[in-house]
Parts: sequence; structure tokens; C-alpha cells
Amino acid sequence: MAGVAFVAHCLLNQNAKVDGGARTAGVYSPLVEELRAHGWRIEQMPCPELAFTGLHRFWAVKEQLDTTAFRRHCRRIAQAVASAIEAHTERGDDVVLVGLEGSPTMGVCVTSSDGELGGRPAWPEGSSELAPGRGIYIEELAAELAERGLPMPRAMGISHQLPDHDPAAERAALAELLGA
Amino acid sequence: MKGDERGFRVALVTDELLNPPPGGLDALAVLEEEDWGVIQLPASDHPEEVVSALLDQVAEQTEEFARHGYRLAIVGRYDGLADALARHEVAPPPQFDPASVEDLRSFLSTGDG
Repeated sequence: MAGVAFVAHCLLNQNAKVDGGARTAGVYSPLVEELRAHGWRIEQMPCPELAFTGLHRFWAVKEQLDTTAFRRHCRRIAQAVASAIEAHTERGDDVVLVGLEGSPTMGVCVTSSDGELGGRPAWPEGSSELAPGRGIYIEELAAELAERGLPMPRAMGISHQLPDHDPAAERAALAELLGA
Repeated sequence: MKGDERGFRVALVTDELLNPPPGGLDALAVLEEEDWGVIQLPASDHPEEVVSALLDQVAEQTEEFARHGYRLAIVGRYDGLADALARHEVAPPPQFDPASVEDLRSFLSTGDG
């Protein structure tokens, strides 16, 4: 059975990150190495934040992006991606999803949340916006798949922007996701 | 922009060169080594409406990079890309259809890409 990994845009293109967020010049190598090593095909999902809020966007938590317009934008992307997932599923391909933990849009198990943030940007030193849960795009993708009667693929998030990032543990989790 | 590790270089890459068949040219590996980011062009075996929707996203994102002066290149040939970019008023970046890894490295390093 062929394997297809739908990956967050920034994992192949760190230039799409919010300023200060890029960890490499372009490609996040550990993910590509794992996918190549296990013979998985790569499908890059569009970045919902890049076209909507731009390269000069501020760091944001989920509540700041959670508007009807942004959800509509995410849903439009999710419809295209869900159709691609559906096509692969119908062919019998094994499909996984790799998002980005800590992201307000692409988080799979960890998003960012703070209902008090707003107005002139100011982040109190030492404050943490991380919170359990999915990002907005991942929620919309799950909803779109559910409406089509499709299961959510096995999924995890790359954790390189979390303070307790453990590269070895991340590689092990990727290998487990890919069925190695 | 305060700066981070980004390379300010983005290549639009065909699916065939990003997911090459065994023995095929692996453009992703070269772009990774040369510090380029990648935007994948939609696979041609997707349904037409999926290709169209994803291509529109590619064009929107490319416009944002172009507007901020990022270096752009197209790696591989892709029907319909020029029209999609034109709809977003983006001039087509330099394009190259590499026959070998060395070809691609040369293109990326000459400034044409």
C-alpha cells in the first residue's frame, strides 16, 4: 500500500513562517528524511495564514484568528485538501497528516490560546500561549472530512517550536506514525 | 522583519520532481541542500477542481513572496501556472526544467533562479 503524507506548508517552506519562527532556511529536514526513508509520498497543504494575514503578520493565538472570514478561508483550503485525501483513500493509499504543534491554525494536539490578547501587541515576559487542542485549519479539515463520511487520518504535529522540543522523540513519533 | 533562519528563496516545484520515481531527479533534496523553501505544484492526477483550487492557493502565496522581494523560481514545467500567476498579477519567475542534479544546482546558483 502506498503511503501519502499531507504536511503543513511551512515544513517544506520555512519562509512562510511568522517573523522569528523559521528554524531552517527552507525545508525542515527531519520530516523529509523520515518520509523518504519510509517511502512516503509528500503532499504539501497550503498555509492558511500566509495568504490571509501575510508575511508581516504578528504572532497570534487562536482566538485572534477565529473569525468567520478566516474559518471560511480555512474551509475553502480544507475542501480542496479533503478532495485530495478522498482521492488517495479511494485508491487504497495509506494517508497521514503532519501538522505543527503550537500553531493557531495547524496544531494537531497543541494550539495556542489566550482569550485576553488583543490590541497593541505586547507579550508579558514568560507568558505561555500554548494550550491543548487543534488549530483552526485542522478543525475545519476534520469537519470537512466528517461531512464527507471520511475518517480523520492518523496525525501528529512537528514540535520544533515548543519549548520542550525533543528531536529524537519527534523522529520516533514520526516513525511510529508512518508505521515503521 | 527582525529576522530568523529563513533563506528568502522559494521554488515552485512540480510534483514529479518533488516525489520522483525510483532513480528520478530528486529536486527536493537539492533545494533542501541549497537552502531553498518549496511550494509544491498540485499533482496532475488529482481531480481538475482540486488542481484548480490548489493552484489558486499557490498563486496567492507566490504573490505574497513576490511582493516582499523573495527570490522565486519555477522548477519543472507546469501547464496553467503562468495563467494562475497572471490572475494574481505575478510575473512568472525564472523557470528551469532540470535534466540532472548538477543542472539544477547550476540554475539555482547563477542568479537566474
